[in-house]
Amino acid sequence: MIPKIFPRNLTARAATLVAGNPVTTRLESGVGNCFPGLEFDHRNLDRRFFPGLIFEFTATGPRLVNVDSNDPELKGEPALKKTLSGKDGKSLAEGAWFIQQITQGGTSILMKQGGNDLDAMTSWRLVRCLQPGKVTIQLERRRVTAGENISQEPITLSANRRNYVDPQTGVISTAYAPGELTQSLCSPWMHDFRDCACFYWASNHPDIVLAQDPPGEPTLPSGAPEDPSLALTPIDWLRTDRSSTKPAGATEDENRPGQMDHYEINQRWQDLAIVLQGREISSVYQPRQPETANPLASPDALAARLSDLAKLEHAVALEYLYARYSLKDPASVASRDLKDALTFAQHEIFLVAVSEMRHLRWANQLIWSLEHAGLLTTKVGPSLGIADQIPVASDPSRPPQLPSIKGVETRPPQLRPLLPEVLQDFIAVEQPSGFLDGQYSEVLATLREPKYPPTLEQLAARIIADGMEHFSRFRQVQVVLTNRKPTDYLRSETFPLASAGDGDGDAALNTYNQILTELDEAYVSGDMEDASHIAVARALMFQLDSQARKLAARSLGVPFFPSVPLKKMKSPKKTTKKR
Amino acid sequence: MDRLVILDGRVAPPGSAVSPSETPPLLHLLSGDRPLAFVVEGSLLFGLEPNAFASMQDNPAAQEELINSLRLRQRNSNLAAPVPLSAPNSISLNIAQSCNLSCSYCYADEGRFGGRASMMSLETAFAAIDRLFAEAAGQRVTVGFIGGEPFLNREVLHASVEHAVVRSRETGSTVGFSATTNGTLLTAFDLDLIRRHSFSVSVSLDGGANTNDRHRRSFNGKSGFQAAIRSLQPLLQNSGKARIAARCTITREDLRVLDRIDALADAGFSEIGVSPLRTSPEPGLAFRDDDWLIFLDEMVRAAECEKERLRSRLPLRFSNLAIALKQLHAGYNKPLPCGSAASYVSVSTRGEYFTCHRTIDNPGFNLGNAASGLSLEKREQFLRSRHVDRQEPCRSCWARYLCGGGCHAEVLAAGRSGCDYIRGWLEYCLRFYDQALSEFPSLFGEGEIAS
Repeated sequence: MIPKIFPRNLTARAATLVAGNPVTTRLESGVGNCFPGLEFDHRNLDRRFFPGLIFEFTATGPRLVNVDSNDPELKGEPALKKTLSGKDGKSLAEGAWFIQQITQGGTSILMKQGGNDLDAMTSWRLVRCLQPGKVTIQLERRRVTAGENISQEPITLSANRRNYVDPQTGVISTAYAPGELTQSLCSPWMHDFRDCACFYWASNHPDIVLAQDPPGEPTLPSGAPEDPSLALTPIDWLRTDRSSTKPAGATEDENRPGQMDHYEINQRWQDLAIVLQGREISSVYQPRQPETANPLASPDALAARLSDLAKLEHAVALEYLYARYSLKDPASVASRDLKDALTFAQHEIFLVAVSEMRHLRWANQLIWSLEHAGLLTTKVGPSLGIADQIPVASDPSRPPQLPSIKGVETRPPQLRPLLPEVLQDFIAVEQPSGFLDGQYSEVLATLREPKYPPTLEQLAARIIADGMEHFSRFRQVQVVLTNRKPTDYLRSETFPLASAGDGDGDAALNTYNQILTELDEAYVSGDMEDASHIAVARALMFQLDSQARKLAARSLGVPFFPSVPLKKMKSPKKTTKKR
Repeated sequence: MDRLVILDGRVAPPGSAVSPSETPPLLHLLSGDRPLAFVVEGSLLFGLEPNAFASMQDNPAAQEELINSLRLRQRNSNLAAPVPLSAPNSISLNIAQSCNLSCSYCYADEGRFGGRASMMSLETAFAAIDRLFAEAAGQRVTVGFIGGEPFLNREVLHASVEHAVVRSRETGSTVGFSATTNGTLLTAFDLDLIRRHSFSVSVSLDGGANTNDRHRRSFNGKSGFQAAIRSLQPLLQNSGKARIAARCTITREDLRVLDRIDALADAGFSEIGVSPLRTSPEPGLAFRDDDWLIFLDEMVRAAECEKERLRSRLPLRFSNLAIALKQLHAGYNKPLPCGSAASYVSVSTRGEYFTCHRTIDNPGFNLGNAASGLSLEKREQFLRSRHVDRQEPCRSCWARYLCGGGCHAEVLAAGRSGCDYIRGWLEYCLRFYDQALSEFPSLFGEGEIAS
């Protein structure tokens, strides 16, 4: 235990770590950069480079802002002290005085070069370069208000540049008032994130967001505007014109003219929007009500439902994947615009497909957990089959509502190229408050019951949350491919499956089956911790990817499952399923 | 924290077989109503609560814990001279190796330094000044005038000052001036120079008339005191921008301190310092071992009087105390006793460089000459050998970085005595400082400080 000690002299004080003060309060541990720094702004030292005077480095040169006659450094500068308390001192106390010229060691530098005043950064850096020792400055008075009488001659002063720290103890000169050295630090809760040039603060605040729903606009049940372009246009969060929905530019330079300035932010901070889930919101935030679904009857019913859902996830994952490979290779098109669109679309669809694969795993993980917890009477085992029916939007012109009186419409899983209607089908599957959502809501409601292990509901909640994201992504892809002909972005409008016996096709299918085998092993053993099977499966997925690309180059798709050929597609089958 | 173990000037690896008495103490405890701990490394002074102090006594673990909790600068464990050794920024010109007085104890043998009386020529003075400015690289420099009695060579003194001012303007290095004088020969012309150029003048006077004239006599036996006061009067009444201080040499014949201070204060001095005589051509004057305890008593008595003056809002006169307080406040911490051979050198009338004004014309302390300049090697060698961590018994003394080991010239001539006195005086000053920091914070440029 450290006894109670009181540092007395300067070196003792400098060496004492006060309990409770973090190390960041000590100068030597500080980030202390000039950007303007997180603990200590060095530039504030240079404001008092000349004893008795305080300057500000403005855009039009170093300007005298104060004469400090109590400056302890003046003790060593009797001549200067006398001057400052005399006629010249009085002159300096009135009007706007700027440094015209600085001289040291025989070199003189004018603060005006080529007819222009040196900017703040440059003049500051020149002052920073001054050595200890005699400095001579020449000050001139400038007219700042009309009718000002500035008949004074320039004033020349000489003194030794301030010793910023005591040479023996390292203690900062006592001329600096408390708070003076930190007065210009970043103030992230005010406006400094506006211009944080190292983007430290910018990482914590929004810059590009989605617009909130304009009142009166038709919206989807999720709250997003129905019009995808409105819903998905990125706008500048710092825009001065709060009613603007102009898309944000791609660069800071493009956006800057339309943004709030520092003082605007300080005065109109209330106008800056709160952003939730990437979207501005100005009214009271209503979190989406948790689905008031009914829990399923029993753990066995739950396991059965999960088994079905896993198959559904599997099916759509394959559909998405197949569609992804139907898109042209961006490298093969000339247009920059189309290149970007294809890259984006491929990437987004792929992300959704991978997300579905994750859901497949989680559904299986939930099944395993239920078995492991001894809650099931019949063994269910891993579910790696493919659903035979996938929900579809019943009326493309009308957003699907839930629950539908007429029941849910479905279609068989189909491997198709990314035609506009196919993309629409994808969107329908991922519809928030859509079919899939509803199914999982019942799962969630069930898992919330006490008899189930407490952490399981989180997986279900995650799956539901992902749904919104998939929905957005597909809609963004839709926006990006609007006004383009499918022949522009698809390898082929038919993009058929590779036929049996096709070397590349068989190889891909083989890999796919191997993946399923590994996943099965993994899901049987609850291979979540060790994950060796998962690892093998993943490696195989990379292989599958290159095989799929190879096929795609021939405008063929991987024959994941026997799929109904496009031209033979029947109209959607209506079923009446109880929810 | 690894302790530095020093054996014969070499750093021994930790764990070497060294007896405990040889390891220097990390801190020094001062008991009393306001207990203190003085950390040797860095000269850090801490007040302690009484029970905290009690727990630290005879408890090396607790002491080490305290030290480990501090942020200490790593001392340069290389016992070489302070690195990097730059050119001195201060010189003293021995412009007159001759004196109009014959003080019995004078180290300079009536100014002659054992040789024949001589004066410095203009050329020699100018050359030394030029070299000072040339090598000072824009720093502030000081030119001092000493002797003998420097004002015996008035012409060279005045001309040197003007020359230095010119050089100062040319190089941008500000220049300060100093002079050590018996004060008996100053003319109005001299006083004007002193005021105009803000000289720091050290006047050698030992006290009131009787005290002073006991040892400080002119050849014809006339009173040195009267002569000095007479010519100094105008300056004492109006010093302008100059600083005047009196410096008393104390012999064992009269160990009193306060009386001297009072007398010189009455004569008009506002700054008075004392120095005990350690070496002397005339026997029977230098301090002996049993004198030191009495002398410490006298020093403390004088300082206590100063404390009362401070309470009456009167300024300090006793410069030994004033300097000690200032240095303790700043955490003065040096392995050498002064700047000699480092930031300061002295020039003889013939233009030879010596480590300081006490070692003029002593061949062992020669550092070069006007023609060849200062020998860096000799300076480094000298300083390395004088480093306090190489000195016995200094290297195990808690006060070594305040004391520095004592004046090189005196120690090498007469050895070290009175170390107990030094430690006693420093302990007293530490306590004085601690109290003064609380009672008279403005003395240190501070506002109210808690505790």
